[in-house]
Amino acid sequence: MNRFGSKLQTHWDWRAAGNFMFGGTGCGLILMSAAASYPNSLPLALGLQALAFIGLGLFLVWLEIGRPWRALHVFFHPQTSWMTREGSVGTILMPLALAGLFMDIPGLVALSGILGLLYLFCQGRILLASKGIPSWREPAVVPLILSTGLSEGSGLLILTLYAIGMAPIQGWVFFSFIAFLAFRTYSWTTYLGKLNGSKAPKKTLSILNGINPLMLWGANVAPIALLLTSMFISTYTGLLSCLAAALAVAGGWYMKFTIVARASQVQGYSLGKLQKGRPKMKAPVRRKPDSFVFDQKYEKENA
Amino acid sequence: MSATAPVPQDKKKVSTYCYQCVNGPDLLTVEVIDGIATKVEPNFDLKGEHPADGKVCVKPFGLVQKLYNPDRIKRPMKRTNPKKGRHEDPGWEEISWEEALDIVAEKMNEARAKDVLDEHGNPRLAFTTGGAATPFKYMGSFPALLFAWGPFDQSLGAGGTVKCYHSEHMFGELWHRAFTILPDTPRCEYLISFGNNIDASGGVTGVRRHADARVRGMTRIQFEPHLSITGASASEWVPIKVKTDSAVMFAMLNVMMHEIGLEKLDVEFLRDRTASPYLVGPNGFYLRDPESKKPLLYDNNTKKAVPYDTKGTDPALYGTYTIDKAIEVGADEESWTHDNVEGTTGLDLTKQLVAERTPEWAEGISDVPAETTRRIANDFVAHAHIGEFEEIDGRKVPFRPVATVLGKSVNNGWGGYECVWAHTMMQVLVGALEVSGSMLGSTTHLAGDTDWDRLLTVDVGEDGFMSHTFTPTSKEGWNDAPLNRHANDTLTPMSGNNMGQQLFGSTTIAWLRLQERAAESWPKPNPPDVWFVYKCNPAISFSETDLMGDAMAKFPFIAAFAYTHDETNHYADVIMPEATDLESDQLLRIGGGHYFENHWESEGWALRQAVVPPQNDAKDFSWIANELARRTGLLEAYNSVINGAGCGIPLQGEGYDYSLDITKEHTQDEVWDAVCKAASHDLTGGKEVLDLDWFRENGFKTRPYSRLNWYLYPAIEDRDLRFELPYQERYHRMGKELANRLHETGVNWWDRQLAEYTPLPVWHDLNKLWDELIEKNHDVKAADFPFWLLTGRSMQYAWGANVGIQMMKEVADNVFGHDGIIMNEGKANAMGIENGDIIEITSPIASTRGVACLRQGVRPDVIIMLAQFGQWKTPYAKDLNRPSLNRLVAMDQDYIDGGGASIDGTKVSIKRVGAAQ
Amino acid sequence: MTRYVMIADLNRCVGCQTCTAACKHTNATPPGVQWRKVLDLEWGEYPDVERLFVPVGCQHCSDPPCMHVCPSTATGQRDDGIVTIDYDLCIGCSYCTVACPYQARYKVDKPRFAYGDTPMESEEIRFDERTMGVAQKCTFCSDRVDAGLEKGLTPGVDPDATPGCVNACIADALSFGDIEDEESNVSELLAENTWFQMHAELGTEPGFFYLWDKELPEELQEKMQGE
Repeated sequence: MNRFGSKLQTHWDWRAAGNFMFGGTGCGLILMSAAASYPNSLPLALGLQALAFIGLGLFLVWLEIGRPWRALHVFFHPQTSWMTREGSVGTILMPLALAGLFMDIPGLVALSGILGLLYLFCQGRILLASKGIPSWREPAVVPLILSTGLSEGSGLLILTLYAIGMAPIQGWVFFSFIAFLAFRTYSWTTYLGKLNGSKAPKKTLSILNGINPLMLWGANVAPIALLLTSMFISTYTGLLSCLAAALAVAGGWYMKFTIVARASQVQGYSLGKLQKGRPKMKAPVRRKPDSFVFDQKYEKENA
Repeated sequence: MSATAPVPQDKKKVSTYCYQCVNGPDLLTVEVIDGIATKVEPNFDLKGEHPADGKVCVKPFGLVQKLYNPDRIKRPMKRTNPKKGRHEDPGWEEISWEEALDIVAEKMNEARAKDVLDEHGNPRLAFTTGGAATPFKYMGSFPALLFAWGPFDQSLGAGGTVKCYHSEHMFGELWHRAFTILPDTPRCEYLISFGNNIDASGGVTGVRRHADARVRGMTRIQFEPHLSITGASASEWVPIKVKTDSAVMFAMLNVMMHEIGLEKLDVEFLRDRTASPYLVGPNGFYLRDPESKKPLLYDNNTKKAVPYDTKGTDPALYGTYTIDKAIEVGADEESWTHDNVEGTTGLDLTKQLVAERTPEWAEGISDVPAETTRRIANDFVAHAHIGEFEEIDGRKVPFRPVATVLGKSVNNGWGGYECVWAHTMMQVLVGALEVSGSMLGSTTHLAGDTDWDRLLTVDVGEDGFMSHTFTPTSKEGWNDAPLNRHANDTLTPMSGNNMGQQLFGSTTIAWLRLQERAAESWPKPNPPDVWFVYKCNPAISFSETDLMGDAMAKFPFIAAFAYTHDETNHYADVIMPEATDLESDQLLRIGGGHYFENHWESEGWALRQAVVPPQNDAKDFSWIANELARRTGLLEAYNSVINGAGCGIPLQGEGYDYSLDITKEHTQDEVWDAVCKAASHDLTGGKEVLDLDWFRENGFKTRPYSRLNWYLYPAIEDRDLRFELPYQERYHRMGKELANRLHETGVNWWDRQLAEYTPLPVWHDLNKLWDELIEKNHDVKAADFPFWLLTGRSMQYAWGANVGIQMMKEVADNVFGHDGIIMNEGKANAMGIENGDIIEITSPIASTRGVACLRQGVRPDVIIMLAQFGQWKTPYAKDLNRPSLNRLVAMDQDYIDGGGASIDGTKVSIKRVGAAQ
Repeated sequence: MTRYVMIADLNRCVGCQTCTAACKHTNATPPGVQWRKVLDLEWGEYPDVERLFVPVGCQHCSDPPCMHVCPSTATGQRDDGIVTIDYDLCIGCSYCTVACPYQARYKVDKPRFAYGDTPMESEEIRFDERTMGVAQKCTFCSDRVDAGLEKGLTPGVDPDATPGCVNACIADALSFGDIEDEESNVSELLAENTWFQMHAELGTEPGFFYLWDKELPEELQEKMQGE
């Protein structure tokens, strides 16, 4: 029984989770591949793959919204919400990257890589702004989303490079991959620690603590260990680093799916601290509906 | 469907009322857009007139869906499959109203041609309704048809005496014209409630008055086995063991009489306004003056016994006195003449009765700590303000703001007598009966059918008490051949015997007799030739429901007025679609003082009207009554009854005559127009004569009603009467006579019930009794049924016939436990039961399953099933798959108390059968 | 200035759901959508148990999280504090729904009726296609408030200018009015009683106040966060 109404939110399901999973990976990938290739051209397979992931994420969100044909509204208001900011960044990132790729302008690709980082940051902030969900509104979620996007992107870069036969891979890519994984380990541990210290719903905590061994050891420590090992056993460098990369990517997806779709219990209702006396309320923050669209509608209604 | 909400062409608000339960009528308005009823709102015009400012409860909000529900019966239907049974398809075939009415009238005429009574003397026509008879407030002129018909049987109840406050009704009317009992909530300071779930059952005014009282600071102590809606807002919840309430009440009497002492009680009230000083003789009857036959009391001034009405006496309240000369009058006019006989006051006998009933004794029985009982009894006395008065409209009335109220299954069934007596005695000891702030009564049905103003029934009777008519138990007067199937005139003399009072007989007996399970020395009654069923579903709402259907299947002809198909009209021969609440007309009294928490400071009349025309082919009851009256040749008699007071008020009265020509048929509008004129004429003393159109437009008409009329005490005082307490001499005598009559006619199967007719109630260990009865009747071990299964009031569902209404389910589900079985969490976990698990509940007669709804606020030995579910035919409801207590509660003569009532609960076992689904 | 707030007196509320039903009538919400509802809460351990009824719905926060996350500006706020949704702008992304700490928002994608796919007449006449696939929630009955103001009525005092739930409350537990007006019903109630706001620690500053006089013990507050 959920005595005080804490229950799993069902408004954002696997489709929304997909945006965080694939969009995050795609952003990490565009950033890392841009960095890895700069100042040379970015291989088409890598670039398109990154954009496909970002696109897939956005497509999944689009599937979720109630009025898909109004989705364009999102792009008119970058000032309003981290979701619009994400959308706006995506709108710039996509053509920029495509132009960079097809017109072979590494600078544009590099710029889109930086936008990818921004996109990741937006994703973190989207969760942070969701005040109804304790596992999202925890500030430590932002570095977690950043670190996992970067880890997934690095992992996928390594996997793809092996797959398209572009190994050996520059050493710093490995080192940064290890660094991102270490960052993710730290972010995950901090995030979980902060949540455990909060009044997050028991169900949320039990789910997240339940995946902790897998996340900590399987998705973070194990890949780091594999990567370190691969440096010393050069015969198996490819195999071990690919394994590490696969674990890092799959682990990141699993974690984000869990946070968005499974460990997203609303906080429920509560009584509050008793107060006395007539309160002096803040002025409402206020925001009017967008005047441009509003005026259009008004004109339409009065036509 | 249009893409956006269409611009309304025509929007109006229509005034009407909801009377889905006894707390009505709630006056409301319905918004009608383009001829479609869309929403219900309170009637704000009643602000200041109505105790809750014209608000309406949750149930009326279901009426719009009720109106347009696609599951409604749309046209009259007849059965084509003559075989009746739960698993038989009735083969319903739609027919015209003409055909339906012809069929029904033909059956009525056939029955009438034989004789209105059958060979057993029972009426051939029977009528059953539910909702504590509130459906009568929807029947328009149909009751006039029934009364024009002659004797008709109302003994085939839908749950009455099990689902009602039966002992309270019987004794309440005898003692203080209290068919129902309530606190003077607007003034009460300290209220003790034994299971009275007023916040769920008290309607709009009950909820509002109690909320106001809480804010004002009234203390409410709630004794009950599970933390109800009402317990939630109480000052204190005392989780008492089931059926041990009387032990705690006796212990409170013990504290008041043996610890606190007479000097701190209301001596003046006890002395002058009760039978406390009346002396009781060795045979258990009052010692009476040999000349006048008036009961004697002992005068401390003259040191001798004098008739109770002697002026200038100082009657002794306690003590045993030797009287030179006195007589006792017993049963069947047996009398004893005494010389130098000892007589003890009724109050002294009461004190002796509770001498051993200490709080410590009660603790072992009830689980209520002795300290709690003692504290509450002391607080009760402390808050009584003994000696204080309030002036109301120039009249000095005692002010005693303390009250005690009882809930269902506390105030009926075995133990009911003990409980209603004990809590009334608590009031009597502090003089808090029928005065400002105290415990009050409302409504009379037994002392006179005036449910809006009981003061009209106060008359001087014998022995200084109010008059009260019981069914005769004398040799000459007693009726050895019952006039109806539950034999209320023969078995339960307190329930009265006129046609309306049939509702207070033991309806369980009627069904048991039809099943040949009771009254073994009497012949099995015939089912009625014609049975009308309206706004009730006894196959779901009564006890041991599996057998109810079997009994109905044997009825030769059932005419059901139906809203949807249901478990009762499944057995019908003809079903006729009724006009629902928002589709029919009727003028009704409002205000005054009636039922729970419904004392108003105004009174008057309100119109229920069709806010939209009846849907499909549904018909107004008055139209149906007209049609049947014509077809049965009863038109003149029917019109005469209407002219009498068949529609609520005589059409001819002092200074007015709006009566109908009895030889002609009148439209329902003509009938209600006359009723409106008569009612408004009567209300305004002829100043305003308002017709039907006026009421359609304005909804209601009121005039002020003095708060003085809320209290019975002034009427008692004016007539120098006494409340018939504590000693129950009349009741005792009646029981002896009834025993004589029954034994003379070879009836020995009512002895358990006859033993209840004691002059002071004897405390019984009811849990032990239940264990005995279970083993006696069901061939099982009582220890195998360690839990009590009880029900709880659902404000959303109770009496509303709305279990098929989607919105009611939706909102009711917000209240915990509607979707399963409420059980103590700790106990459940110890039994391996988790929240949401499927559990099986087994009583000695049946099993049912449901979802475990675990909570802390319920005793570990109690489980609760709210409302009444278990439907297998009613559309929508049958898919809810919710358990029913009613199937599990055995109907058996042994469970029926002396007054004919039994409780709404049973002992059960619990088994986990599966995980949450 | 005017700032409308609502008050629920928990000492009065008995959880009867009349407000829930009245809201459904007033706003023609489809099955399963309850802009206003009353929770039936319990805490403690037998026999020391408390049961409490708590009306909930949109709290019309001064600083509403739902508004900050709305990507289309469909969620707005009026000068009087009422948080609004423009159905014609909303894209139905549900971001506001997960951002709201009070579980006040709903989204219905397809027409939904009491009895199957076919609406009853009373449903059909009030069906509004604009509400499909977009966020919806309690509006403080702003349409009633505005219509009442136009007629010179006082919201919270005159029924025709007052939210449907407040009008319907049989326990007189719900009140509505202008907190900026020191003389108003709501100002007086808050001045005379102890009260709390739900999840005030989130900085939302709800325009919904609960009159109540008991604080939960700390260990129960922990438990209150759900299971």
